[in-house]
Amino acid sequence: MHTSRRWFVLLSIFVVIIAAGVVIAQTEAPQPLGVTEFDLCPTFDPPVTVTVVGDAGHNLAPYQFWQTDFEAMGINIEVVEVPFADVYQKLKTEFVAQTGAFDVVTFYPAYIGDFASNGYLLPLDDFMTREPAGVWDPRQDDVLAPFRELYNKFGGQTYALTIDGDVLVMMYRTDLFNNEEEKAAFQAAYGRELTPPQTWDEWLQVSEFFTRAAGETLAGETLTENFYGSAEFAKRSFSFAWFMNRAASAGVIYFDENMNPGINSPEAIAALQNMVDGLQYAPADVLNFGYDELRDIFIQGRAAMVVQWTDVPKKAADPNQSQIVGNVGVGRVPGTLVGDTIVHRSMMPVGRVVSVAADTDVPEAAFCVAKHIAYNRSLEDVSTALTGLDPYRQSHLDNVGAFAALMGEENAAAYLEGLTQALADGFPEIFIPGSAQYNDALDLEVNRALAGEISAEEALNNVAARWNEITDTLGRDNQIAVWRQALESYRALGLIQ
Amino acid sequence: MKNVATQSTSRHWSQRLLGVERRNWRPALLFVLPAFVLLLSITIYPLVRTLALSFVTLELSVSPVERFNGLGNFTKALTADPRFGNAMLNTAILAVIGVTIQVVLGMALALMASEMGRTRAVWVTLFMIPIMIAPVVSGFQFRVIFNDTFGPLNYLIREVSNGTIRPPPWTASTSTSLLTIMITDIWQWTPFMLLLLLAGLDSLSQEVIEAARVDGANYWQQLIRIKIPILLPILIIGILIRMMDTFKTFDLVVLLTEGGPGSSSETVAYYTYVNGFKFFSMGYTAALAFIQLVVIVVVSRGFLSLQQRQRGDLR
Repeated sequence: MHTSRRWFVLLSIFVVIIAAGVVIAQTEAPQPLGVTEFDLCPTFDPPVTVTVVGDAGHNLAPYQFWQTDFEAMGINIEVVEVPFADVYQKLKTEFVAQTGAFDVVTFYPAYIGDFASNGYLLPLDDFMTREPAGVWDPRQDDVLAPFRELYNKFGGQTYALTIDGDVLVMMYRTDLFNNEEEKAAFQAAYGRELTPPQTWDEWLQVSEFFTRAAGETLAGETLTENFYGSAEFAKRSFSFAWFMNRAASAGVIYFDENMNPGINSPEAIAALQNMVDGLQYAPADVLNFGYDELRDIFIQGRAAMVVQWTDVPKKAADPNQSQIVGNVGVGRVPGTLVGDTIVHRSMMPVGRVVSVAADTDVPEAAFCVAKHIAYNRSLEDVSTALTGLDPYRQSHLDNVGAFAALMGEENAAAYLEGLTQALADGFPEIFIPGSAQYNDALDLEVNRALAGEISAEEALNNVAARWNEITDTLGRDNQIAVWRQALESYRALGLIQ
Repeated sequence: MKNVATQSTSRHWSQRLLGVERRNWRPALLFVLPAFVLLLSITIYPLVRTLALSFVTLELSVSPVERFNGLGNFTKALTADPRFGNAMLNTAILAVIGVTIQVVLGMALALMASEMGRTRAVWVTLFMIPIMIAPVVSGFQFRVIFNDTFGPLNYLIREVSNGTIRPPPWTASTSTSLLTIMITDIWQWTPFMLLLLLAGLDSLSQEVIEAARVDGANYWQQLIRIKIPILLPILIIGILIRMMDTFKTFDLVVLLTEGGPGSSSETVAYYTYVNGFKFFSMGYTAALAFIQLVVIVVVSRGFLSLQQRQRGDLR
């Protein structure tokens, strides 16, 4: 009896701990801001289940945040998490096999050409024009033009709604750049004022200046571990985007009108060489640096500057995650001096959109879910440190107050200003069918050059040859046609001349 | 002789194909049919379909339409795809060097274990732990161990050398990335060789060893002239199993290096996966899979012939 009672007490404690954990986990959600005006979809009776798929982690958290909203609409949400790098293959496999496993799909917009052209997604225009507008209209006119035109549309129709407006920005340590001692030392060494780098050549200079070994002094303090001037996303997958920041600012475009690669021009080779040269001011294992490592080295105070996605300043402002709270500046990604003008280009890698799968049994409910995340609660989702979602609507950029709660009024204004500028400098990934192959070929060779396996010139010549092979295999005429459409969109948006 | 031939052709097909009497062919067929259908649907059909795919171009990223390509996919893989060649080379390095080290270490540990007394069971159980761990877990474990910033390996090297040795960023360097996969594989699978060889050593006749000892053979002579030759057939099977496994190395690559930096640690299995499930080039992927199959079959055949020869010699 005595033993039974002991077990009962232990079990009760266990249940209470678990319940408390669940309550804590559930209550960790942003508060509704009441800024966005919307109406919920009419309640589905009987309730329906909508299966949502997306990359695992904090970017699926909004489906938890707004569970009560979904319940009010009579929608049960089932979330399927897929590793970040496996989203495309998971979705493509399910689409090809026509399993109908998912109703709402979250993916990276580089694949919209592939998914929409193969008929895997439902066009959303009919839903969006239904009445009443408060229920059905996701206010696409509020979505910033590059995201609306490139991320959401294919062949003139809307197939997806943006939920994450990714663009790269430069982040730097304001305390170091404003330190009088450091400013004087930089002036003495380089004969100019210490400022956040405007060009990629200046990036190398500032990186060199701030790279210090353990035991040396930085801003008056003795370092206990090595400190790095900069770091890069140099791991396979998106290293090509950090290269393209440099190359695009030098005027490099992936292909010409006839799909002849422009990636091995002298400007592109110089851009890649700049990135290779920059690695000497980064940690020795920088070739393993993806999003997490690059974020951590900066917010843990071990690097002076990085180029990163726009959610990182939010993480840097969160004392639970960051050691550099209040010391983060957001600026334009450095550019290249073309004539007497510095041209800046910020890559827009990844990003996230939601779509309704063509083979869903519950298209209306799926659209309601997509619209709720993409519009109704989007301001709350992009202004919290609990997700990695970044602003993509004009209303997000106009609402400094929503971000002020996290980073203070002044920093929030600076953050949104930096982001607005980065979006103006935005440069897209390849969006046409076959993007996975084109991007992988570029990424592989960039990575080989970064690893010192081959020269920058050899790497980019390899990319050009491989791209030609891919274009021939996929069908050159078709590829030329879709690429010309893409170029038109880029021009219309002012992304290229 | 003529009679035998006539007899054999006059046998009913049920006797020739199923090995049953003529009157029993119906129930026999009924019993065999489910297994045959199952085998056909899950093994034979996919194999034939994959073979058929290897002769077409099927790019699912643009269209589900197949275009006949003859031997184009095979020619491309064997003559015009340096990345595939590099993946083959990496796989061969893992298979030859990695498995050789596993054999040597496995043999050494088996010899040690065979000499142990009462504690042998405990030691062998401890040695078996790596083999019981899922490759995903061991891959993650070694990713932490090899981490340059907070991994224990580089920390130890720096501490022991008082900072005079700068250890490499193991998984982030082209010269060591493949080595990290090999080390993890060796750590995980050496116990398999140990187990196999220990069983072989246990089954050795003590009289033969005793006779050699009486004849004045020292430890090394006993090992090289008696134990290893007798163990050779078992050893060959062990090597064959491990080589076939190594040829399929995928999980460790994904967890430790993702094939990088560059393509320095890509294996054939990983590269095939990339083509199939990242690029959705299904025709080319099928050709790559078939080339691997042919290589594995040829290597296996070689090893099995060697083993048969060894058995013949021993008899």
